Amino acid sequence: MTGSQEQPFQEHEGLPPEPAELSLQQLVLDSPDIKAFLTELAILASTRLSGPGNTIHSGVTVLRHKRPQAVAASDAAAKALDELQNGFGQGPCLTALQQGTTLLVPDLAAESRWEPYVQTAVQHGVSSILAVPLDLEGDAEAVLNLYSGRSNGFSGEDIATVESFAAQAAISLRLILRISQLREARNDLTAAMQSRTVIDMAVGAVMAQNRCDRDTAFSILTRASSTRNIKLREVAATVITSISGERRITAYFDE
Amino acid sequence: MNADWTGGPDQLLEADEQRRDVARRFRNTQLPMMKLWTYYYGLGGDADEMSFDAYLNEALHLPASQVGLIATAMRELCEGGDR
Repeated sequence: MTGSQEQPFQEHEGLPPEPAELSLQQLVLDSPDIKAFLTELAILASTRLSGPGNTIHSGVTVLRHKRPQAVAASDAAAKALDELQNGFGQGPCLTALQQGTTLLVPDLAAESRWEPYVQTAVQHGVSSILAVPLDLEGDAEAVLNLYSGRSNGFSGEDIATVESFAAQAAISLRLILRISQLREARNDLTAAMQSRTVIDMAVGAVMAQNRCDRDTAFSILTRASSTRNIKLREVAATVITSISGERRITAYFDE
Repeated sequence: MNADWTGGPDQLLEADEQRRDVARRFRNTQLPMMKLWTYYYGLGGDADEMSFDAYLNEALHLPASQVGLIATAMRELCEGGDR
């Protein structure tokens, strides 16, 4: 932290990398969730690379359960292009994702790989594509996709900029992922505490009513749950309501 | 916990088969182990994470009542919906 005012995206002549780094950290702090972070990342990338007469559209695709999903984009055009590629199931961005390396297609008209997708992309006015994967160390897989309406729309300098940018973003993203995993685990545990309280109570009630042991009480409730296709917790809640009329049983769980 | 509940060799064979089936279904769901354990715990499950993990990797036997709860947890979680 330099304490200086935030100065986003000045031209890179002679500038140290601090501005981009600073604003990326800012992104992490400001983003309520990952999707928002990735959207801001895409906008940042496209603002940074767009020049006069060369508008860059940028999108982020994340691999979830081995299926690519366009999760964020700088604009509707980029989102459409990402979805198009994912629909075809092949394309430069997906290849970059699989290989884990940057992939540049300088001129789509001269490209012979990814046939059906490339043709459609050309029809949508795309001439060059740059795909940079984000290294998330196995937590997830993501790729930053950049589209230009010009052939050779990305200079060597652009590529270096995006790569260092992607590397910084990946570090921030790993942190967000870690935090949201922890938050999710905490929420799951809270839900489990609530659910377990109700179920334990119902098990006790069934034991008292039927003069049976705990395992038998559990299997009575489980059987009721699976034959009626109602969640075990809801069966348990019904049991308690039928005895005492109480509808809301909550457990205090220290967060 | 291992083997103290199992009867003769026939019952052990049956338990092995059931465990193989549960383990296979668990792999197919692609659920994170901790997520399933937490849900199972919320249903009143008693096995700790390590025994639970070992069971799903076919390295340990659990009492039939716990196996039933694991199956219920998997069913309810895979139905998705709210929790």
